Amino acid sequence: MSIASDMIRGHTDTIILAHLLSGDSYGYKINRSIAEKTGGQYELKEATLYTAFRRLEQMGLITSYWGDENTGARRRYYSITQAGVQEYHRMLGEWEQSQRLIQTLITP
Amino acid sequence: MEYRIREYMDQLFESAPHTQRAYELKIELTQNLIEKYYALVGEGKDPEDAYNLTIMSIGDVRELFSQLEDDEDGNPVPPPVYYPQPQPDHRRALVRTAAVMLFILSVLPPIVFGEMFGNSTIGGALGPIGMFMMIAVGVGLLVYDKWAHPNQPQPVPGSVVKDFQEWQKRKNVKKHYIAAFNGAFWPLVLAFYFVVSFGTGKWYITWIVFLIATAVDVIVNTLLKAMINQDGGK
Repeated sequence: MSIASDMIRGHTDTIILAHLLSGDSYGYKINRSIAEKTGGQYELKEATLYTAFRRLEQMGLITSYWGDENTGARRRYYSITQAGVQEYHRMLGEWEQSQRLIQTLITP
Repeated sequence: MEYRIREYMDQLFESAPHTQRAYELKIELTQNLIEKYYALVGEGKDPEDAYNLTIMSIGDVRELFSQLEDDEDGNPVPPPVYYPQPQPDHRRALVRTAAVMLFILSVLPPIVFGEMFGNSTIGGALGPIGMFMMIAVGVGLLVYDKWAHPNQPQPVPGSVVKDFQEWQKRKNVKKHYIAAFNGAFWPLVLAFYFVVSFGTGKWYITWIVFLIATAVDVIVNTLLKAMINQDGGK
């Protein structure tokens, strides 16, 4: 599982962008849906997740805003930018290409 | 348990740069961790286990914190020039102590000279003169102390919100103490003056109470302010 974890970590940015494609979200919700999608096999460390948020924000691929929940607990929401959508498709294409390459290389 | 998570985050963020961005990240992260904790409890986890799982899921924050040292454009923010450390100022303490001692001992000349010279005019004048001299020097010392050490606003970079909260708290405490003292002090002095004057019948000398009271007022107000400022400087 550790090899898979390392590989997935290398695609943290793509994973986050993919989640934001289907609507604005916040830290815990994204991480929970990652856990659900992988059947609890994989979950990002909070530090990794928020480091990625800051990095993506600095690159202009996502923006953030504070929600206005009435319950008092305020969440910081992230939303993908136009540049983010483009970058996502570029990274997805890259992944598909490398996936094919690795596939041909590791099969006898 | 929610409180324990907050406490843990407070400790964790002590090593983070003290900036507005760090503060916001702490709020965000804490909020999400608390939500995670309640979700774990909702799944039937023991509160203690849920807490440990939540804390463990944070991971290594070093990279996250090093990011916070960059500003909005990605440029590294220079480290704060200095953080003023409150240090005991012995010379200042000495000046204040001397002033307070002078005030207390200022009653000695009238007593001593009164005993020595009895009712002779010249000798009788020496007592009050000595007393006023001592009070004057004491007040002079306190005024000097105040002027030589003006309260400088301390330029601590970042953590605007926290600074503001602390400043407000400080201001309230300060107001509270000083208002309490000023409200009670002068009525008490007046009452004391009348009690002593009627009791002894020595109206020609009891007005001294007001001079002493003024001195005490200055001392207490100065000490209170100094005390509160020192507390706030941390």
